[in-house]
Amino acid sequence: MKLLVVEDDETTGTYIARGLREEGHTVDLVTNGRDALIQATSVGYDVLIVDRMVPQIDGMTLVKTLRGAGNRTPVLFLTSLGSVEDRIEGLTAGGDDYLVKPFAFGELSARVAALARRAPTVAQETTLHAGDLTMDLLSRRVIRAGREISLLPREFAILEHLLRRKGRVQTRTMLLEAIWDISFDPMTNVVETHISRLRAKVDRPFDTDLIQTVRGAGYRIDA
Amino acid sequence: MNRHLPAIFRSMPIHLALVLVAVFTIVSLLSLGATYLVTQRSFDQTIRADLRQDMAGFRAAPGPAALSQLVEAEARVTDPARMVLSYIGPDRRHYGNAVIARDDEGYHIVTDISGDPQIEGQYMALTTSLRGGQLTIARSLAEIDALREAFLRVLGLSLIPTILIALGIGLTLARRSARHVSTIARTLDQLTGGELEARVCPAPDWPQDLATIGTRIDKMASAQESSIAAIRQVSSDIAHDLKTPIQRVAVHLSELSEHGPLDATARDLLDKANAELDGIVATFHALLQIARIETGSPKAGFEVVDLDRVCATIVELYEPAATDAGHRLHYTPASGMTISGDRHLLGQTLANLIENALRHTPAGTDVRIELNRIRDRIVLSVTDNGPGVPEAERELVLRRLYRMDRSRTSPGAGLGLNLVASIATLHGATVGLHDAMPGLRVELAFPATRTS
Repeated sequence: MKLLVVEDDETTGTYIARGLREEGHTVDLVTNGRDALIQATSVGYDVLIVDRMVPQIDGMTLVKTLRGAGNRTPVLFLTSLGSVEDRIEGLTAGGDDYLVKPFAFGELSARVAALARRAPTVAQETTLHAGDLTMDLLSRRVIRAGREISLLPREFAILEHLLRRKGRVQTRTMLLEAIWDISFDPMTNVVETHISRLRAKVDRPFDTDLIQTVRGAGYRIDA
Repeated sequence: MNRHLPAIFRSMPIHLALVLVAVFTIVSLLSLGATYLVTQRSFDQTIRADLRQDMAGFRAAPGPAALSQLVEAEARVTDPARMVLSYIGPDRRHYGNAVIARDDEGYHIVTDISGDPQIEGQYMALTTSLRGGQLTIARSLAEIDALREAFLRVLGLSLIPTILIALGIGLTLARRSARHVSTIARTLDQLTGGELEARVCPAPDWPQDLATIGTRIDKMASAQESSIAAIRQVSSDIAHDLKTPIQRVAVHLSELSEHGPLDATARDLLDKANAELDGIVATFHALLQIARIETGSPKAGFEVVDLDRVCATIVELYEPAATDAGHRLHYTPASGMTISGDRHLLGQTLANLIENALRHTPAGTDVRIELNRIRDRIVLSVTDNGPGVPEAERELVLRRLYRMDRSRTSPGAGLGLNLVASIATLHGATVGLHDAMPGLRVELAFPATRTS
């Protein structure tokens, strides 16, 4: 993927750029809004990673300007402010996702991947598969290796979420937002316990694990 | 004492109108009274003069016979109700239109006319011995009585309309200023409630004094709004200036962990540093959030929130974690528990309360989340049967950064309950910490939305 990082802090910017390059992406790094505007309008990027407070043209104005000019490239905002209000403000300005500093690189990488593949799935599937597991969305039944697995509604929702995003990491905060519609960070390991309950039903009775833990990032079901 | 009157009768214009009416009444009474006294005295003098003149006329009579004839002649054409003529001649015979008798109760005038022989009313009399007899002339004072009545009527006629007009104008003014006063009061309520953009905006037809107050309030509100905007800018600047180095520390720690194989000690130190960093970030976010809630107006984003859904979601989210930690979470669904608020903040509040209960109570503790409607309030309570909080410390735990001694060793920045209190205040809710015997019960009493 071709990515543009707009970040005025050198340490953070280089770190993000290096990490994304290691993942195989092409990354351009700029440190102010003016350069960002020039780059974004002249080069076709897959995702823009924009700090909200950068010199010359701030991130919000940058994205508003781009959107006004018809540029629809997905934008991930990086910000120091973490309240729901700020988040809503950022999303209304045309941002597609919002990441509060400090963040772990895994979180950033997972969100960039999610944004890039935001294009709607063409066919409306009624069954989801992963390895020897089949999820029937109509009858809401989950079968693995010929055995039916009985899941609670919330466990079903988590599994469905991971299956629909096969091969992509889903972080704790992404799951909190998608499954529970929660945008604050609980201090307790609530997501981990939900995942371990799900694993106890989906993975433990079987030989191989479907749900992978990605260290420092989140969870993933391999494609 | 006038607490029972409707508010409008306690307003300033009505007060002024009543004072005006009182002043006008006193002045009218004094001036009319004085006029009455002067007029009455002059009437009195006229009557006296008339009497003397009458008497002089009779004195002209040369002898008792002539006098008695003159009296008789005059008496025949004189109404005793107006003037009484009575002459008792030397022969003790009585001439005139009435007899003046005297007994213990005073004088009586008795006429010869049958029917109503007794005449009531006040008279002024002049008696003199004349031509061997006694002549009495009495003139009625009815005119003076009539004068008094006329004056009272004038007083009444002038006072009643004055009172009515003054009260009417007073009421109109009072009602008009009541409208202005309630506009001012509403604006102040909005400002107090966090709607910082609320203004009085006095219309040009406002009375000068209220318009002055309104304009000053608007000026004050603008000053406050801009200073709060400045505080926000500062806190957002601080956030940015502090977040950048925090982000760098996170970056360096992350780079360090990727820096080849680390021994157990190094790995342990790295984990500790990361945990501390998480703590710093959490405290920092909580402080920023509290500052924003306390200075800001996130009320703008309020919507109708079903607390039952919020509770069900949060309880469901925490249930596995609580069970793993050996606690039991209980929640009984309840319907019709809607309030006006911010869904995310309310969820965060309950999450904080649950985390607090899980963190400060030993394994095996029950944590009960309940929603109850008590009159026009919806009470969200989180009750545990753990060790509780000593009464003396209950107020303190709501304060920023306060931590009980025994919780110093457990994680958390001590901002949880403070954030809960800020969010509750934003929602117009009261926070109460009670002894659950044993344990602690935290109650948030929200104003319920009006059910239509």
